[in-house]
Amino acid sequence: MSRASLAEFAGRFAESRVGLASLAVTLFFLFCALFAPLLSPTDPYDLSRLELIDALKPMGSPQVLPGEEFRANFAVTDGVATPDGDVGDLATASCGERCIAVRLASAETELASLQVRSLPKGMSVEGASKHPVQPWWTVNDPEGNGVRIVSDEPLPAAFSFSVIAKTAEQPTDFVFVAGTDAFGRDMLSAILYGIRISIFVGVLAAGSAMVIGTGLGLLAAWRGGVTDAVIMRTVDFMLSFPAILVGLSILAILGSGVDKVIMAVVLVQWCYYARTSRSLALSELNKEYVEAARCLRLPAWRIMLRHVLPNCMPQIIVLFTLNIAAAISLESSLSFLGVGLPLTQPSLGMLIANGYEFIFSQKYWISFGPGLVLLVMIVAMNLLGDRLRDLNNPRFDR
Amino acid sequence: MTQPVFEARDVSRIFEPAQGALQRLGDRLAGRQPPLVRAVDRVTLSVSEGETLGIVGESGCGKSTLARMIAGILPVSGGERRYRGEGYDSFLARKRDALKVQMVFQDPMSSLNPRLKVGEIIGEAAALHGVVPRAQIRRYVVETLNRVGLPADAIDRYPHEFSGGQRQRVGIARALAVKPDLLVCDEAVAALDVSVQAQIINLLMDIKQDSGLSMIFISHDLGLIRHLCDRVAVMYLGRVVELAGTEELFSNPTHPYTQMLLAGMPQISLKRRTFMPIKGEIPSPLAPPPGCHFHPRCLAATDHCSTRRPELVELAPGHTHACLNAGLTRN
Ligand SMILES: Nc1ncnc2c1ncn2[C@@H]1O[C@H](COP(=O)(O)OP(=O)(O)O)[C@@H](O)[C@H]1O
Ligand code: SF4
Ligand SMILES: [Mg+2]
Repeated sequence: MSRASLAEFAGRFAESRVGLASLAVTLFFLFCALFAPLLSPTDPYDLSRLELIDALKPMGSPQVLPGEEFRANFAVTDGVATPDGDVGDLATASCGERCIAVRLASAETELASLQVRSLPKGMSVEGASKHPVQPWWTVNDPEGNGVRIVSDEPLPAAFSFSVIAKTAEQPTDFVFVAGTDAFGRDMLSAILYGIRISIFVGVLAAGSAMVIGTGLGLLAAWRGGVTDAVIMRTVDFMLSFPAILVGLSILAILGSGVDKVIMAVVLVQWCYYARTSRSLALSELNKEYVEAARCLRLPAWRIMLRHVLPNCMPQIIVLFTLNIAAAISLESSLSFLGVGLPLTQPSLGMLIANGYEFIFSQKYWISFGPGLVLLVMIVAMNLLGDRLRDLNNPRFDR
Repeated sequence: MTQPVFEARDVSRIFEPAQGALQRLGDRLAGRQPPLVRAVDRVTLSVSEGETLGIVGESGCGKSTLARMIAGILPVSGGERRYRGEGYDSFLARKRDALKVQMVFQDPMSSLNPRLKVGEIIGEAAALHGVVPRAQIRRYVVETLNRVGLPADAIDRYPHEFSGGQRQRVGIARALAVKPDLLVCDEAVAALDVSVQAQIINLLMDIKQDSGLSMIFISHDLGLIRHLCDRVAVMYLGRVVELAGTEELFSNPTHPYTQMLLAGMPQISLKRRTFMPIKGEIPSPLAPPPGCHFHPRCLAATDHCSTRRPELVELAPGHTHACLNAGLTRN
């Protein structure tokens, strides 16, 4: 297409607000797909970073850092406690004749619990609950970030004890905008990666179908006769099955995986391209420029690929746009049914499926986010394809 | 006698109108013959070196079909085609040599690929078949553009940027670029304005004068044919009914159909503009009248005209026609 007619095409495209909006939305999702690793706040595949404490958080909840646990040993001589080895943030102080205070030095971190172990006989910890068997005293949520070890009798000249401190969970600045799933995965990141996978599979599948289907359609148009009949009857046959049925059967036979899903989509979609490209090519083949090319004794493949195909391309591109959307929704359906992509590559469909079991416990957001995104994406792509088709169809020309 | 550049002997083309498989099956079961169109029916003609042969006839009489068979882009259903004595089977098999017969098409819109630049349209075959070395192809295309009266900057433009006449020049340049011996022009100016027609005709005549190539000029316009051609074949419903030198044909037409055509032709002096009443419509090529196809419209028709097919007979050297009542119609 020359530059002038491209500009004219763009101008006519811009006349429709719906068209522009659908283009913008489609481009936005393409952008998300391309830059998902940069855009997404967390890496949803990094299982080591997931915390169960974050699991099933609704939309807008902050991320929580789990408490840390650390241990320290203290030696006490003549009532003065000294750290025995690394004691971290813990510090001791004297709180009277028969009293030793153990507390966290920094005020920011809060203690969830503090346990004191192996105290000599006669000593105990204020407000603690003692282990039924072991000499362990545990204070939950200690006041003032510390505990006091007290004794009924004068302190022994020398003894030692150990402390196990657990810091409290801490909300962070990070907010799970779209909530989290059952593994504590940030749904926003998961959705962004899901868009990436869905679009990748959709584009690759629809693209492969386009290449194969268009090739067969051109072949049928060029050869005619038996070749044409065989290809087109196969198309009719394939089109008589619902797409989801073909997809399910293929995956049932081949097993799941990205390549298998792509194969299933190709098997469903090549028919549309074959049918369209054949009829387009047939009408092109009637034009005199094809006869001129034959008179110039150009090889058949060259006439088909260099002369006929480019003239069929606009309509095929329209079909491609519509078929990407169809491929994405087919892949999502298959993944939702559990036969599509493997668990390691959660597409939008699988995210919806993952959240499905929680919907009845009112944890709707796990399915809702991916579902909404999928819906908007497919609607936008369909509107875009429709708009392109209208522009291509001279009958709809003003 | 020197060998003709092109020769057709009893060339025919039968079309089977496109039908659904069911209809074909039904026809076969009922023992019906599927309807056939004899678009070209046993045509014999030749073009010698440097000659321009005109083919004239009403629309639908098979001119384009014949042109396509001559150009080698449509197979024949019967008969023989020869290029300088060589049968077309072997001639067309050698792609590089087969370029010697080229064609200029009727429709300046659909005959140029809208997605290719003019430079590619003209240069593609020449480069692919090695008519000129690839390195010189651009210069060669510019030369060819100049030959057909187009500016050099046309090379990087698309067909839709040109007017009908200019596009037809591109079509002519495309044919010339592979250095043909025989140029088949199928209604090459029919789709153009009258003023533009004259320019294209002049261009074709100039090219012929410069390069001495042979030409088959197909038209339904008798004036153009008379102006351009050395010899003329008149076709009616797939058959050649009269073939003679231009002067002879226009001054002494012997076949009743030719006479009728010439009578319907506007004369140069408007005063003597005479029209002959045309009896009847042109019949359907699907069911042509038996015997002489022309008999329902012929003023000289006799009984046997509807049963016997008239063969071409030579009346005078170089003047043949196919009429059973030759003596009666001779003026
Ligand atoms: N591809 C085809 N299939 C069937 N019939 C054809 C085909 N091409 C031409 N015809 C028929 O052959 C006859 C001659 O057509 P054509 O050669 O185009 O005539 P002209 O060029 O003299 O107008 C017409 O009746 C036309 O319908
Ligand atoms: S053969 Fe008979 S019908 Fe045919 S042109 Fe001659 S006179 Fe007329
Ligand atoms: Mg024609």
